[in-house]
Amino acid sequence: MTDDQELMTAIQAGNARAYESVVKKHLKSISHYAFRMLGNTKDTEDITQETFLRLWTHADSWQSEKAGVSTWLHRITHNLCIDYLRKDKSAITSEYLDEHEADERPAERPDKEERLASLKEALAQLPERQRSAIVLNHYHGFSNREIAEIMEISVDALESILARARRGLKAELLATMGSTSVDSKTTVKNHRENNKK
Amino acid sequence: MTISSERFTAIVEAYGAQPARWPTEERTQALAYCAAHPEAQAMLEEFQMLDDMLDQFSVADMSSLQRNVLNQVARTSAGNAFDLLLDWLVPHSERLMGWLWRPALVACLPLVCGILLADYFSFGIDGVQNSREEELYLLSLNDYTETFE
Repeated sequence: MTDDQELMTAIQAGNARAYESVVKKHLKSISHYAFRMLGNTKDTEDITQETFLRLWTHADSWQSEKAGVSTWLHRITHNLCIDYLRKDKSAITSEYLDEHEADERPAERPDKEERLASLKEALAQLPERQRSAIVLNHYHGFSNREIAEIMEISVDALESILARARRGLKAELLATMGSTSVDSKTTVKNHRENNKK
Repeated sequence: MTISSERFTAIVEAYGAQPARWPTEERTQALAYCAAHPEAQAMLEEFQMLDDMLDQFSVADMSSLQRNVLNQVARTSAGNAFDLLLDWLVPHSERLMGWLWRPALVACLPLVCGILLADYFSFGIDGVQNSREEELYLLSLNDYTETFE
């Protein structure tokens, strides 16, 4: 029996210490994922709390042969975020852009701050599933199969979503920042033309 | 085995410029393709810029979150006294429509308690009869002098 199985069996039996162990192990990843999906701390805290409440109340629905605990928890968070974002998309997008980060760095150069603001805006503009895919791929180190499991799609569909997400981000960043820093269109175009030759 | 230029483009567009994020089974071939093709390296550099920007997106501090997440379970456990009573009296079971008979059993508890208490505190009206000798003894204790005057 693995550590995950032992902990989940203990949680099913109402063991609060086992629950605490799982929370401490996965809280950072779950909350960071939710924050990058929602863009503000209030909603992030709500979704994170709901995720771990479901761990406590629905631990018996976890099946070790289907997914690891981390994958299972991220799937719960993914579904909660998607539902939440679809309820009131316009409000979320404006909150996403307004939220300030706690580890603000006053010494940062203005152009860097501008680029960060542009990136957040570009992320906020992405469809929810594209945003989720790129966050799980870029920040959380999951493999393509794990992300496909979390999002309950095939690996091929995931690749398609990820490619659209990255292309969308680049297009959005190019539109907001001009072609000075991310002059990408020409390079990809050149590469594709070379491929055709 | 090598990969095609289309596949290399698809990998970089999907997973970005960091080989660590590429599919494990194609990573070696993709790196080999990149080393042999200058235009692939240029494409990689361009996607590296996007990755660098993504890396700058840090997360806000949520210092009270762990405490709240742990406390919510303590509140849930302590708050539902009826469930705790149920669990103590009748452990969980998937059989016999446990969701129905467990509350029914608990609902019978006051009735059982009432019967036991009534039996215990039934002062002088129990079914035990005094013996004949005891009744004669009690009669002998009465004062009959006033009746002869």
